[in-house]
Amino acid sequence: MATQHSRAAARFMIAPSVILLLAWMVVPLAMTLWFSFLRYNLLMPGDNPFVGFDNYSYFLTDPAFQAAIVNTLLLVVGVLIITVGGGIGLAVLLAQPMWGTGIIRIMVISPFFIMPTVSALVWKNMFMNPVNGLFAYGADLLGLQPFDFLTQAPLASIIGIVSWQWLPFATLILLTAMQSLDSDQMEAAEMDGASAFSRFFYITLPHLARAITVVILIQTIFLLSIFAEILVTTNGGPGVASTNLTYLVYAESLLRFDVGTGSAGGVVAIILANIVAIFLMRMIGKNLDA
Amino acid sequence: MGRITLEKVQKKFGDVEVIPPLDLTIEDGEFVVFVGPSGCGKSTLLRLIAGLEDVSGGEIRIDGKPATDLPPAKRGLAMVFQSYALYPHMSVRKNIAFPMKMAGMSQEEQDEKISKAAEVLNLTDYLDRRPGQLSGGQRQRVAIGRAIVREPAAFLFDEPLSNLDAALRVGMRLEISELHKRLETTMVYVTHDQVEAMTMADKIVVLRAGNIEQVGSPLELYKTPRNTFVAGFIGSPKMNLIEGDIARKHDARTIGVRPEHLQVVDSGGTFTGKVGVAEHLGSDTFFHVHLDEMDEPMTVRAGGEVGLSHGDTIHLSPQPDKIHRFDDRGLRIA
Repeated sequence: MATQHSRAAARFMIAPSVILLLAWMVVPLAMTLWFSFLRYNLLMPGDNPFVGFDNYSYFLTDPAFQAAIVNTLLLVVGVLIITVGGGIGLAVLLAQPMWGTGIIRIMVISPFFIMPTVSALVWKNMFMNPVNGLFAYGADLLGLQPFDFLTQAPLASIIGIVSWQWLPFATLILLTAMQSLDSDQMEAAEMDGASAFSRFFYITLPHLARAITVVILIQTIFLLSIFAEILVTTNGGPGVASTNLTYLVYAESLLRFDVGTGSAGGVVAIILANIVAIFLMRMIGKNLDA
Repeated sequence: MGRITLEKVQKKFGDVEVIPPLDLTIEDGEFVVFVGPSGCGKSTLLRLIAGLEDVSGGEIRIDGKPATDLPPAKRGLAMVFQSYALYPHMSVRKNIAFPMKMAGMSQEEQDEKISKAAEVLNLTDYLDRRPGQLSGGQRQRVAIGRAIVREPAAFLFDEPLSNLDAALRVGMRLEISELHKRLETTMVYVTHDQVEAMTMADKIVVLRAGNIEQVGSPLELYKTPRNTFVAGFIGSPKMNLIEGDIARKHDARTIGVRPEHLQVVDSGGTFTGKVGVAEHLGSDTFFHVHLDEMDEPMTVRAGGEVGLSHGDTIHLSPQPDKIHRFDDRGLRIA
C-alpha cells in the first residue's frame, strides 16, 4: 500500500513541472499550427480569415523553398563531413604525447566558446573581406586576384565558418573517446603485425564509432537551425544562394511580415527535422546500443 | 625454434634504472617463468623481449639473430596480455584471424588454422560471438588462440591468469601447461604468484628490483635458495627465517626452516611456543606459533587432525638436514 501511496504522491508532486513543460511545448506549437492556416499579414491589418492550406502551397511552391531545402542539407552534410573528418584527425594528433599538450588542447577547443555572430563577423570582415581581409592580402602577396568569398561562394564560405565553430566540439568528444582506448589493444595489434594505418583502421576507428555517432546526431540537431552566421554574413544571398530553411522562415515572417506563411514554413521545418532524425536514427542509431 | 638470449640488457626510464644490465638465456622449448613481487621489473623485462619497450643498452637475440632493433611484429613472438586485449568489435573468429589477415594469408589457410586453434582451445561453439559475450576464461583462450595461429618462435604471457577467479585459474594453469607440452614452443610467463611459477615452470627466474636473484628449476629453488629473498619468496606458506641466538648456534646470521620441515614433538624440541591462529585445511593444519625469542610467529605444517588449539604449548623440532643457513649478506652458506 505504501508504495501505491508514494507513487500517487510522486505523480502529484511532479505534475506541476510536467504540466508547465507540456504547456511550454504545446501552446507555441498549437499557435504556430493555427497561424499557419490563417491569412495573417502584418502589412494588411484587419481580420485574419481562415484560408486552409493556402499558406502551405505558397511556401512550398516558392522557388526559394527548393533552394532552401538543398542549401540546408548541403550545409548540414558539408559541415558534418569536415568536422567529423577533421575531428578524427585532430583527436588522433592530440592524443599523442607531446610538448605543450595542455595549451594546444585549449587552443583547439577555444573556437567553440566564441559566439556565432562574433565569429561570423570576424570571418566576414577580417578574413574573407575582398579588400581588407587576410585572405585577400595573402592572394595579393602571391599576385592573385582576391577572391570575394561571400559573394562568389556564399554557401561554401558559411560551411567553412560553421565548420570552424563545430570542429572543436567534434574534436573534444572524439579525443575523450580516444583516451578510453585500451593501450593493450594497440600493443596487441602491433604485435599482431598491424601497420600504423591498419591499427587506425581496424582498432581506433571502430572504437570511435559510438562517439562519431554522438557527434553526428548532436551536430545535426544544431546545424539544421543555423541562422546567426547567415544573418550577419550574407543575409541569405546573393539571391537565395545561402538561404536555408530557418532563414527562409525568418524572411517570410519578419522581412515580409507574413506571419501565416512563416508559420507554415515553421511547420514544414519541424516535419523536415523529424524526417532527418528518423533517417539518422535508422542509419546510425544502432551504434548506440550494446 | 625459439632460443632467446639477453646480453647486458638494461632499461632506464629517465634517470631511474629499472633493470640493471642483465644476462639470461631461454632455451628452445623451455617454459620459463619470471616471478617476483610487484614492481620488480618482470613485466618490463617481458615487454623488452616483446619489443614494446626499447632497451637502453645491451642486446636481445632470438634464435641467434639480433632482434634488439626489430619492431615487435618482426620478432616472431606472440603475446598474451593480462587484460586479454581482445578487439571488442570483432567476433572471436575475426579476433583470431587478425594476425593472419595482417600477414596477408589466404582465406582458406586462415579458416583452416582458425578451426584447428578453436578445436585445441574448445572455442568452436563460440567463434561467432563477440568478446563481450564470453566469460573470463573463454576470453583468455581467445587471446591464446590469437597467439597460436601466428606459430610464433615463443609465447609471452603477461600475468594472464590474474583476472580470473581461483577455480578458473587452476584450470587455465593446467591448460597452458598442457598446451606447452603439445606445442613444445618456448614460453615466457610472468607472474607474481609463486604457486603458478612452481607448478608450470621448467625454469624459474626470480627477480627483485630488476636484478635476477636466482635462476633454476622449481625444485632447485625450493631445495637450495641462493639467498633469504628467494627462500622467503618460493614455497607456501613462507619459510620461517630465524635470527639471533638460535641462528648463531648454527654458525649463521639467519637460518631458515620450511613449515613442512618442522615436527611437532611431545616434549623438548628446539622451539617451544604458544599456538596462535590455526588454519585447518583438512589435509593439513597450519599453526602460527608464537615463540618467546621471536617477534614474528612461526608457521608449522602439521597433519590434518592434530589436537591442539589456541593457547596450547607446542614443542617443535626441525629436521636437521633441512635447515638452510644464510650469512650476513643473506647469501646461502653451503
